[in-house]
Amino acid sequence: MGCASSLPDRSSGRLTGLNNAENSGAPDAKNLRVKLVLLGDSGVGKSCIVLRFVRGQFDPTSKVTVGASFLSQTIALQDSTTVKFEIWDTAGQERYAALAPLYYRGAGVAVIVYDITSPESFTKAQYWVKELQKHGSPDIVMALVGNKADLQEKREVPVQDGKDYAEKNGMFFIETSAKTADNINQLFEEIAKRLPRPSPS
Amino acid sequence: MSSDSGSSSSSGDESVEQNPDSNPKLVDERFDLLTLTEPVELEPNHQENGNEIANGSLNRGSNDGGAEDDQLRVENHEIFGDEGPASPSSSGYAGERGSSSASSASGIGEVSEIDGNEIHEVRNDGSLEGISDSRASSWVPGKRHVDEDDASISWRKRKKHFFILSHSGKPIYSRYGDEHKLAGFSATLQAIISFVENGGDRVKSVKAGKHQVVFLVKGPIYLVCISCTEEPFESLKGQLELIYGQMILILTKSINRCFEKNPKFDMTPLLGGTDVVFSSLIHSFSWNPATFLHAYTCIPLAYATRQAAGAILQDVADSGVLFAILMCKHKVISLVGAQKASLHPDDMLLLSNFVMSSESFRTSESFSPICLPRYNPMAFLYAYVHFFDVDTYLMLLTTSSDAFYHLKDCRIRIETVLLKSNVLSEVQRSTIDGGMRVEDLPVDPLPRFGSSPHLGQQRPPTESPEGPREPCIGIGGPAGLWHFIYRSIYLDQYVSSEFSPPLSSPQQQKRLYRAYQRLYASMHDKGIGPHKTQFRRDENYVLLCWVTQDFELYAAFDPLADKALAIKTCNRVCQWVKDVENEIFLQGASPFSW
Repeated sequence: MGCASSLPDRSSGRLTGLNNAENSGAPDAKNLRVKLVLLGDSGVGKSCIVLRFVRGQFDPTSKVTVGASFLSQTIALQDSTTVKFEIWDTAGQERYAALAPLYYRGAGVAVIVYDITSPESFTKAQYWVKELQKHGSPDIVMALVGNKADLQEKREVPVQDGKDYAEKNGMFFIETSAKTADNINQLFEEIAKRLPRPSPS
Repeated sequence: MSSDSGSSSSSGDESVEQNPDSNPKLVDERFDLLTLTEPVELEPNHQENGNEIANGSLNRGSNDGGAEDDQLRVENHEIFGDEGPASPSSSGYAGERGSSSASSASGIGEVSEIDGNEIHEVRNDGSLEGISDSRASSWVPGKRHVDEDDASISWRKRKKHFFILSHSGKPIYSRYGDEHKLAGFSATLQAIISFVENGGDRVKSVKAGKHQVVFLVKGPIYLVCISCTEEPFESLKGQLELIYGQMILILTKSINRCFEKNPKFDMTPLLGGTDVVFSSLIHSFSWNPATFLHAYTCIPLAYATRQAAGAILQDVADSGVLFAILMCKHKVISLVGAQKASLHPDDMLLLSNFVMSSESFRTSESFSPICLPRYNPMAFLYAYVHFFDVDTYLMLLTTSSDAFYHLKDCRIRIETVLLKSNVLSEVQRSTIDGGMRVEDLPVDPLPRFGSSPHLGQQRPPTESPEGPREPCIGIGGPAGLWHFIYRSIYLDQYVSSEFSPPLSSPQQQKRLYRAYQRLYASMHDKGIGPHKTQFRRDENYVLLCWVTQDFELYAAFDPLADKALAIKTCNRVCQWVKDVENEIFLQGASPFSW
């Protein structure tokens, strides 16, 4: 399970969603707030990753997400800053693809998830990367996540493929397992570290 | 109804019964006021009887034309399901005889011989139509029998199939079996439809032995039901309309454009993950009367409690929310629409089915595009959905795609008010207490102490371990009243009594709903209706239906119930509903009344 840190340094930029009215206040260097959107094919485990991160739960029964669910979670970093993630867990179904801009518009972070046992979902992940490069915020922090890492024996997408693709596209890469909780917190901590900090005024 | 037996008032609201039991003579006199000749047989092929209906409606005029809404009077001509003049094979009311006999035989092995060309019910494999219904609470959402296709004997034996297909014959949805394996079957259905269309005509239904095939064409989308449940054509067509509406709710009607671009367009991926929504809707056809009444129902609540909920919803609606709907399961707590926006009961049914059947809404707050087919089939609205507890949820609909944070704030405000005014705990209590029970039907007119009676007034507290209701098991209400549904036409709402013994099993309840459904269809038959009253007796029930300008009453009695008493009881039910209308209906705030 590799962690490729290949993010270009970003020192400025908007962190938050366009449509968050609460967020109009002055940026606070110690208390960050960021809109995060999860994208990826249906069934790759986006909701499971979020629920593991936010509630520490894992429910193996598949619950198809409708539209998008909103959850938030705050984490504290070692340098005593806190980051509040406002997470949009989007539905992977095809019918919602056209509506994705609704959810990724203004997002500071995009987490693109695929299933390491499904090459189709890896292809779909690449589609989302391209879409965000075209239409997302120019300074968006992107992470590529290979989920279901516990299913090693069924693996069809090699770690290196994910790593290579992430590197080429300036993304952070990690493999996770929502089921075993492996690397879930690391994913969000690494994202938090990579967030651009508002320059002290 | 005024107490003066010699005259009758046309306003039902003032109706006060004058202790009929202490003075039976008075009651009899009162019921002599209105004499309606009963519609004996509603089958169009029984011309003679059809004329009698007309006469019956006219007869009333000679007494007091204005009084028919106050008192129900039906006389003579009882129908005995098996012995009546109607030919047993007539489609109208042969009813559930088949299934009732099947259930008495433990519902197992109904089908002894399998005819490859017929679809039968399989009762011993846990299918929806069969014995699994005896545990309604264990109904598991989602599609079953995906491994089946049209070559499977089990698939052919299913009692009720629903299909959605495209005009090029591509399968879109099938209740049973894998759509992709049903391509050949879909193509056959498409061929039947287009064969008739090529002749400049339109196929509505086909009868084949026990089976009825009903077709509904909606532009490039074809819907088909194949059923041997003996439900009337109009009911099955209504169910297809709802299935189509559910599809529009998910995708909008702009899906038609995909077919304009590419007639061979494959729609199944677009409906990915929605099997559970359709299967839950289809399941509701057998337990939710809203599916054929085209009305919604409210959870019983004290007037002030519902008002408190309505007030905060109104507040929110004024801030740019199109519809604010607070529900508990399929029952409305309160709802408010922006000015001039009206919400059709069918849209509410489809929306609540969508929300309740999609598990993900319970996980956290959601913001999803949905379409209300009756409101605007072409456009998406955005629905903010939040569950306050496992059954109680709020839906805020807006036209604005970036209103999420505003709606979230609205929800926080609403939640604060609901908690402060105890609405949520009152709702939970109402869920436990239930609604109107036939056992509680006031036997004597309620004494009026200036205040109106309350729903739970005569009811023993639910906490009592051995309440006085226990000995009543199996008896039902007075005069053998088992169940009723009252639909207020003006409010677009209905109230249904709680099921209690002897209607305790889900099969019995489903059978009763089917009977009501047939009653509804026959009362609203455009060819020979509309009718005002109907009294039917078969081996399962006495059914009484009464339709006025203001309401429709459907009541089921013990099959041996006395007719005059049954009629009297129906009048009492109507009075009871009026007495507690502030608690069982959403008054005033309804957008339908605009």
